[in-house]
Amino acid sequence: MPSSIKAPTLEEFRARAALTGLTLTEEDIGHLHKGYVGLLGLMERIPQRWAWAAEPPLVFRADE
Amino acid sequence: MTDLTTLGIAEAGRLMARGELTSTALTDAFLTRIAAVDHKIASYVAVTADDARNAARQADMEMQGGLRRGPLHGIPLALKDIYETAGVKTTGHSHLKIDYVPAIDAASVRKLKEAGAVMLGKLGTHEFANGAMTPDQPFPPVLNPWNTKYQPGGSSSGSGAAVAAALCMGAMGSDTGGSIRNPAGYCATAGIKPTYGLVSRCGIFPLAFSLDTAGPLAWTTEDCALILGALAGHDPNDQGSAKTEKVDYGAAAQRPIKGMRIALAREWYEGPDGQLSPDMAKGMEDAVRVFRDVGAVVEDVTFPDVRDYHICGRVIITTEAHAIHRRDVIERPEKFGYTTRRRFQLGAFISAEQYISALRFRRKLHQDTREAMRGYDLVMTANHWGAPEIFEEPQQIFHFLGKPSLTMPFNVTGQPAATVCCGFGADGMPLAFQLAGRAFDEASVFAAGAAYERATPWRQRRPQL
Repeated sequence: MPSSIKAPTLEEFRARAALTGLTLTEEDIGHLHKGYVGLLGLMERIPQRWAWAAEPPLVFRADE
Repeated sequence: MTDLTTLGIAEAGRLMARGELTSTALTDAFLTRIAAVDHKIASYVAVTADDARNAARQADMEMQGGLRRGPLHGIPLALKDIYETAGVKTTGHSHLKIDYVPAIDAASVRKLKEAGAVMLGKLGTHEFANGAMTPDQPFPPVLNPWNTKYQPGGSSSGSGAAVAAALCMGAMGSDTGGSIRNPAGYCATAGIKPTYGLVSRCGIFPLAFSLDTAGPLAWTTEDCALILGALAGHDPNDQGSAKTEKVDYGAAAQRPIKGMRIALAREWYEGPDGQLSPDMAKGMEDAVRVFRDVGAVVEDVTFPDVRDYHICGRVIITTEAHAIHRRDVIERPEKFGYTTRRRFQLGAFISAEQYISALRFRRKLHQDTREAMRGYDLVMTANHWGAPEIFEEPQQIFHFLGKPSLTMPFNVTGQPAATVCCGFGADGMPLAFQLAGRAFDEASVFAAGAAYERATPWRQRRPQL
């Protein structure tokens, strides 16, 4: 099933940006909002529901 | 003798083995050409002339004494400036690392030196292999030697431009989403993104751990094969490094390809999100015909949608790159170029769930691609959509919002993928396709790429500077 995350408004995005720890100018926030909304749109193609134990690829090996 | 700077690696090696050419003469020819023309394309950020001449003299003494290290002995190469080099600045094309001088070589650099290669210097790159080339970076942008108003592609921009302009015999690049194949395609060189895990990334600035690969660009596929032969091998210091058998890639590049089965991923470049330029479309059709003429079987095959690979890889790169550079984008954001900074900041907005979903999706795409490849040796598809972008300011901040990347599928699957030039458009700009093999089957990729190059005239044309 595809993602159904609602794209944030610029105001909502600004509030979220304040929690990231990044030092951002208004210009940064404008660019990042545009980029994030675009990314979210593309991410509709990524299924969000997986079998609970579906394991992603890992590089960790316990024998090292 | 022909111009030394346009010799192939194998040919130069044969001449040196017969005592008809010295590494010193070859190296001097490249240093002279760099001094004469590189100011027109700015491919080098540093030329290590003294070190190169010393290494060339050493190679000559060894060869005169009967020691032959292999096909790279005495061969002048250059390095993307994200490869750590002992005693030589390694900047990542960034103000953040402008004075960084590593104490030791990257594992791959060490291997090239052990193979007797001569290092000419460091090459321009997109900042940390990610940002666009912008005027707020410490070095001028690398220009495309076929037409300097065009970009050379990136992020291994200097590597593609320098090889095409005959300013080195081969160059190291890195490829996380297409950074070897983009400049190779736009500059008409050959280039290979090896299977994930084949070549050590130890000592190379990371962009995204789970996708980063290191590989060569050179004028021909055969030359790429010779360079990769010196690079492949397990490195316990690289978490992603694989244990593989030694393969003679140079010999593989001579193999006939009669009967080889090639799956054409046509839907990727004739899909809903874009069409190739007319020149690229014709180049692809002609390339398919050449493969059939030399005895390969080429059939259209349906793979997962190219947009799936594109967004899967982009989420992974954006998240991992943010994690790697987070401290600097918080503490010293002004030191980054304006595109790099925003691309690295964006990952702060991706949730853990979104990242893990992308990783899970990667596994599914890997499995579905392998299934689609069943019964075929290689995948063939276009390398790029059309002519490269023209330099203009401001640069696009988020390049992934445009057409889907044609190179990303093989980063997501980890397969080896090579770029092969298939002609030139009406505007004189290069056309290219990709060949991808099964994991760790670089040999088939080299065989097919080299067979195509032998059957076509494109390796005879060089840019005029």
